[in-house]
Amino acid sequence: MRGRRSRTWLTAYLFLAPGLLLFAVFRAYPLLEGLRLSFTNARLGRATYSFVGFANYMRLLDDTRFQVSLTNTFVYTVGSTVPILAIPLALALALNRGRLRTLLRSAFFFPFTLSVVTVGLAWLWLLDPVVGPFNYYLKAVGLPVRSWLADPHTAMWAIIGTTIWWVTGYYLVIYLAGLQDIPRDVYEAAALDGAGAWRAFWAITLPLLRPVFLFVFVTHIIGSFQIFGQVFVLTMGGPGDATRSVVQHLYETAFQNFFQFGSASAMAWVLFAVILVFSLLQFRLLRGHTEY
Amino acid sequence: MADAGQPSRRIDVQGLLLTCALVALAVLWLAPAGWVLVTSLKRTPDIIRLPPEWIPWPATMDHYREVLFSSSRTARIGRAFVNSTIIALGTVAIVVIASAMAAYPLARMRFPGRNLVFVLIVGSLMVPNAVLLIPQYVLVLELGWLSTYQGLIVPEAAASFAFGVFLLRQFFVLMPGELEDAARIDGANAWQVFTRIVVPLSQPVLAALAIFTFRSAWNDFLWPLIAVNRPEMFPLPVALALLRSAYSAESYGPIMAGAALSALPLLVVFLVANRRIVEGVRLSGLKG
Repeated sequence: MRGRRSRTWLTAYLFLAPGLLLFAVFRAYPLLEGLRLSFTNARLGRATYSFVGFANYMRLLDDTRFQVSLTNTFVYTVGSTVPILAIPLALALALNRGRLRTLLRSAFFFPFTLSVVTVGLAWLWLLDPVVGPFNYYLKAVGLPVRSWLADPHTAMWAIIGTTIWWVTGYYLVIYLAGLQDIPRDVYEAAALDGAGAWRAFWAITLPLLRPVFLFVFVTHIIGSFQIFGQVFVLTMGGPGDATRSVVQHLYETAFQNFFQFGSASAMAWVLFAVILVFSLLQFRLLRGHTEY
Repeated sequence: MADAGQPSRRIDVQGLLLTCALVALAVLWLAPAGWVLVTSLKRTPDIIRLPPEWIPWPATMDHYREVLFSSSRTARIGRAFVNSTIIALGTVAIVVIASAMAAYPLARMRFPGRNLVFVLIVGSLMVPNAVLLIPQYVLVLELGWLSTYQGLIVPEAAASFAFGVFLLRQFFVLMPGELEDAARIDGANAWQVFTRIVVPLSQPVLAALAIFTFRSAWNDFLWPLIAVNRPEMFPLPVALALLRSAYSAESYGPIMAGAALSALPLLVVFLVANRRIVEGVRLSGLKG
């Protein structure tokens, strides 16, 4: 009996070995190594480096460009959260039943199969201030046109719009799955009690979708605090620093200007802390038992 | 609810109007992607003509020929296409094998440390990739893996591994145990049970994981941007981003041809296995 149990133990870890090796070397070790680097003055090509305590973190307090990029990232995250929660939900409610729904779902899902670069290039061309179709059609219906990506007041909104187009299909599918998990008889009971569609939506659909909201929230927060590709392709952080994001600032600090791995690692951990705080806040806000 | 009881004429009209509105919205939604394709097929002087023309006639394949084969500009999309294929398929192979092997004992065996291992792996889903960027670069540099396929594949696979374990464990836990027991009674060892019973039974979920991993590896941008500095090793997203700076702003033709080419494999997968993709996305949401 003892022998059998220790055999199971061995077998389990033999199965786990390749994955755990991959995980330990390329996930767990870099996480701790990054934390360690953030307390050093490491640079690429510098053979030796020393520990500098919290100096990298203190310097971020004076790094106005980092602060601007952090603010921009907040603006992007906050500005995109409501549309990301609402638009796919509205589509999911409309596409939950009815004609052509599989085909229509596929249409809305398609942009999610594209890379961020492809999406960025498509919108760069659509929003071209001179020859792009977007401004042409706006003008045709009598609306004011702008250089959407070159105007500091609209550049971030153009990036948010591009992102919505890109990821809506993903969240649509998540919401549809959530809607399908709500038992049909809850609605039937509500209808018997005389509740209309609108009332059923507020009293049944929204509360029962709470775990789905939590997932969408947290996934979106983790993703949007790391925004990089859209900015890189559409604006390069411009005009000025109007759309510069934290990861872009980190990328430039680490890989374009002087390869300052120490301070860039400190930025990464500040970002990590911000994301963690936000995610935990969401858990707090939206946790609670969901009972049918 | 609209479809409960006898559908009345009024509801039919409403439903029809809703369907029409949704079809219009879907067409509008796909217009940006359509515009990429249309542009890539137009002759250069026609591209910037206003009002916008949605039918690329006379059509040309010149832009595709240029980005695929011409060596006069920086990024060669043909080569990048091959690179992306190798990277994405390599990543898929590692992720599917490593996560299936790891998820199996986590779901079906009892052993000390099981919960700890699972919590560590799933907890890592909360770690943003951007946090690992610099230390991962240092690691790959020290291994001598910069600008190599393994330098792109292995970190990419490690990034998707946790999700794979999460997804497959969920599936393995719910699998009925009778076939496994029967095989064991017939004298099969754990490895044989895994390869002959468990893997064949999990083909749908393995396919979903494979497609999901392919998508993220094919489309990843930030890691290859820093881990590759030789143009002949660029995957598509990096090559495309640099194509943009190589051409002047008005040369949308070649850029859009490159963008359309990069979308092609997933479009094909999407048309063939639409349901699989949607299933994969749906399963990814189960952790919520």
